[in-house]
Amino acid sequence: MITLPTRKAEEWRYADLGALETLWPLPDAESVTVAAGGEFARAIVNKGGVVRLSLTLEAGAKAAVHVLNTADTYARIEIEATLHEGADFHLGGVQLSSGDQTAEIVTTVRHIEPNATSHQMIRSVAGGTSTASVLGKVYVAKGADGTDGSQSVRAMLLDRTAQANARPELEIYADDVKCAHGCAIGELDANGLFYLAARGIEPARAKALMLQAFIAEAFDGAAEKDNLTAAAQAALEALL
Amino acid sequence: MSEDIEIKDQAAREAAAKVAEYEHGWVADIEQEYGPKGLSEDTVRYISAKKDEPEWMLEWRLKAYRHWLTMPMPDWAKLNIPPIDYQNAYYWAAPKKKDGPKSLDEVDPEILRVYEKLGIPLAEQEVLAGVEGARKIAVDAVFDSVSVATTFRKELEAAGVIFRSISEAIREYPELVKKWLGRVVPMADNYFAALNCAVFSDGTFVYVPEGVRCPMELSTYFRINAENTGQFERTLIVADKGAYVSYLEGCTAPQRDENQLHAAVVELVALDDAEIKYSTVQNWYPGDAQGKGGIYNFVTKRALCQGKRSKVSWTQVETGSAITWKYPSCVLNGEDSVGEFYSVAVTNNYQQADTGTKMIHNGKGSRSTIVSKGISAGHSQNTYRGLVRVGANAEGVRNFTQCDSLLLGKTCGAHTVPYIEVRNPTATIEHEATTSKISDDQLFYAMQRGLDTESAVALIVNGFAKEVLQQLPMEFAVEAQKLLGISLEGSVG
Amino acid sequence: MLQITNLHASVADKPILKGLNLTINAGEVHAIMGPNGAGKSTTGYVLGGRPGYEVTEGSATFNGQDLFALDPHERAASGLFLGFQYPVEIPGVSNLQFLREALNSQRKFHDLPPLSGGEFLKLAKEKAGLLKMDMDMLKRPVNVGFSGGEKKRAEMVQMGILDPKLAILDETDSGLDIDALRICGEGINAIMRKPDKAVLLITHYQRLLDYVKPDFVHVLAGGRIVKSGGPELALALEEGGYEGVAA
Repeated sequence: MITLPTRKAEEWRYADLGALETLWPLPDAESVTVAAGGEFARAIVNKGGVVRLSLTLEAGAKAAVHVLNTADTYARIEIEATLHEGADFHLGGVQLSSGDQTAEIVTTVRHIEPNATSHQMIRSVAGGTSTASVLGKVYVAKGADGTDGSQSVRAMLLDRTAQANARPELEIYADDVKCAHGCAIGELDANGLFYLAARGIEPARAKALMLQAFIAEAFDGAAEKDNLTAAAQAALEALL
Repeated sequence: MSEDIEIKDQAAREAAAKVAEYEHGWVADIEQEYGPKGLSEDTVRYISAKKDEPEWMLEWRLKAYRHWLTMPMPDWAKLNIPPIDYQNAYYWAAPKKKDGPKSLDEVDPEILRVYEKLGIPLAEQEVLAGVEGARKIAVDAVFDSVSVATTFRKELEAAGVIFRSISEAIREYPELVKKWLGRVVPMADNYFAALNCAVFSDGTFVYVPEGVRCPMELSTYFRINAENTGQFERTLIVADKGAYVSYLEGCTAPQRDENQLHAAVVELVALDDAEIKYSTVQNWYPGDAQGKGGIYNFVTKRALCQGKRSKVSWTQVETGSAITWKYPSCVLNGEDSVGEFYSVAVTNNYQQADTGTKMIHNGKGSRSTIVSKGISAGHSQNTYRGLVRVGANAEGVRNFTQCDSLLLGKTCGAHTVPYIEVRNPTATIEHEATTSKISDDQLFYAMQRGLDTESAVALIVNGFAKEVLQQLPMEFAVEAQKLLGISLEGSVG
Repeated sequence: MLQITNLHASVADKPILKGLNLTINAGEVHAIMGPNGAGKSTTGYVLGGRPGYEVTEGSATFNGQDLFALDPHERAASGLFLGFQYPVEIPGVSNLQFLREALNSQRKFHDLPPLSGGEFLKLAKEKAGLLKMDMDMLKRPVNVGFSGGEKKRAEMVQMGILDPKLAILDETDSGLDIDALRICGEGINAIMRKPDKAVLLITHYQRLLDYVKPDFVHVLAGGRIVKSGGPELALALEEGGYEGVAA
């Protein structure tokens, strides 16, 4: 892309175009090919700006990517994964935004050959007047039978001025596939908060605990789980 | 068992081999009167004059036409749309002689035969002679550009319900029409809506006054008969406080090689405690097995749930048209208002459907439910595209969305593009989507019990679509079930 | 009623049946027993016409008709009922709707008028009663959410309603507790133990045969019948296992 995108471009629908202009032109995506049968793991902590990763998983390759997306003003993580036969892709993501920040995770997972699996799980927390968006797309090519692709997107809004957007898209050209996506947006469970309060935990702490629990599952299985969780917790504390 | 061996799918082998027979593909031989070919201000004036419209209506049309000229054709839907030559179409076609029959006796008997062939109970006596206890359905039949008959008018008037062709309503109830026309779908809303504003030929107007429960189902059947004709109907339904109305819409067109354009606008308004149930069974000619011909169905349908506790429920069964582009939507302004969208879209051969809904939650406590069932076969593409938006001031909004796709064969596509935009933390939004196919096991099981392939497919597909079909009024549900089967004939080998 | 001669059949090019011969006359109950992988279920599927089960040699006549010339639904309409080991779920379609459509399709095949809703309900009620199945179960979607035992009972209700000439019951006894086994067994007897009907039981175990007494017992091994006998053969198998008999 040479010129700045507009909101009409679906992938930029929720972007902070003003902030984007200062980052323009964007660097090319880091391109990684995981050889047949190989394994790849990556943890990304983005503290602002645009991070782009493009993966090609050859037959039977496995990749696990875990990301933490936080912004000073604008943070965007773009991940593209192309899966050959029997490849397995896992993405766990957390994004936290506050103030007038914009955070977004944009993924495109392409199942171009049979029997590949992909699982994406993203948890967003947005406070202040910030915007947290997830644009996910799973593409299944003709003939890519035996595909199993799932997307789970959940978001918590902390303030009435915050915004959460999601677009879990499916584009499917094969019939023997298992593709499911689930998406939920809401606020912290009042019963849960009350339960913690009734056990003597002060409200702010209770909120933090519940949010920690909410984001924790996104880092399950990550090699750097402890580091990521610690970074996310620090960001969460700052946000609260 | 030990011989649990994967049996290769034979589905869709003959998908394109068979032409699913379109049972409404005949052309009636009726003398037609055409307006000027092509689209210009003159065409707009011609239509307005033909309809004996007041000046304000002509001005409104011209304004829309001039705006339309400035608009580009939309390209964002996942559709492959061949360019449309707007100058090579007629925008007005009417059965010759009378443009406004006063009673059924004045309607050309040939037209009545057409509707009879379609199985529409146009003549009231036919309905009355029907099964005892059968519900009455008042019908407005639109034939190409004009409404040819509206039945049960007297009985409806006794209840205070106005059920008219929109042309008549413009003349007889100008204030009511003026108040709401274009309120829900502004003329500049989108390309096809603007086009419709400029050249709409006829359609239906319904007004149900305060506290009235419409005593019968209202229904409009649309039929495109003339060649090279676009149909641009306009429907406006207003349910005043506490009113209830159930409205059914059915569509057919003859089989032709060239494409025909259908660009309708439907506006619904529900005030406090009012409820509108709007059901569509769309069976326009879908084109042949090679994708030649068929209707382009570009429709803007939107409901304004303006009143507190108002409710609008859209139910659609879309089996026809070469291309469908429609998103029956609800603007939920009223507190505790309710929007529902139940959809079954079937595509076969080279059909393309891009359909879904928008639920715009502005009112506190507003709720919406979306159930979409897409069935793709042959070389078709079937897309659900939807938006659920929750405004910052809308507290306690709830939405539940379920999008299921069923694929028959390996050459079709099923797509889901849901947008969710939430600005209020008290919202509870849930979205689920699944994709499946008819398994060989299911097919064999049903056949082992005595069903042939097509009955088995029809049965399984009906099961898949059940949640939606059960929303339809009974008469339509039966028709819709049959349609699903017919539309998929030949799709599983 | 059914005459199978030198039947060879393959699944995915792998030969499973290798020269099966079997004759079943009206009024008889046969049982096919045998170890895993012998071709028992394949026999049922081939006779039912399941896609992917290819007949490579041999023939089968059913009431004088060439069975393999018929499509699966025509075999069903001709009176062949296959009780599935794993009955299939059909979401959104109630048992009653499914069976009424199946029955009326079969009736149409024989140029009989369809049963009205009332007539059908009466029939369904009667057959469900036979299997002690609640009518509410039949209002639920076909096999969806049914336990293993409920599925097998529902299969027997289907058999009662469709009233076939020949029932091939593939491991109808698996997944049944003792009470359900007795109910199913009595159901089979009530529905199928008639001079003009016949049953082919496919089973691993003797226990169903305690309720449905077979006239003939066959041992299937390596794709053909290696031994036939009376009910005593099943008992011998129960004691001595297949190895001794098949050797």
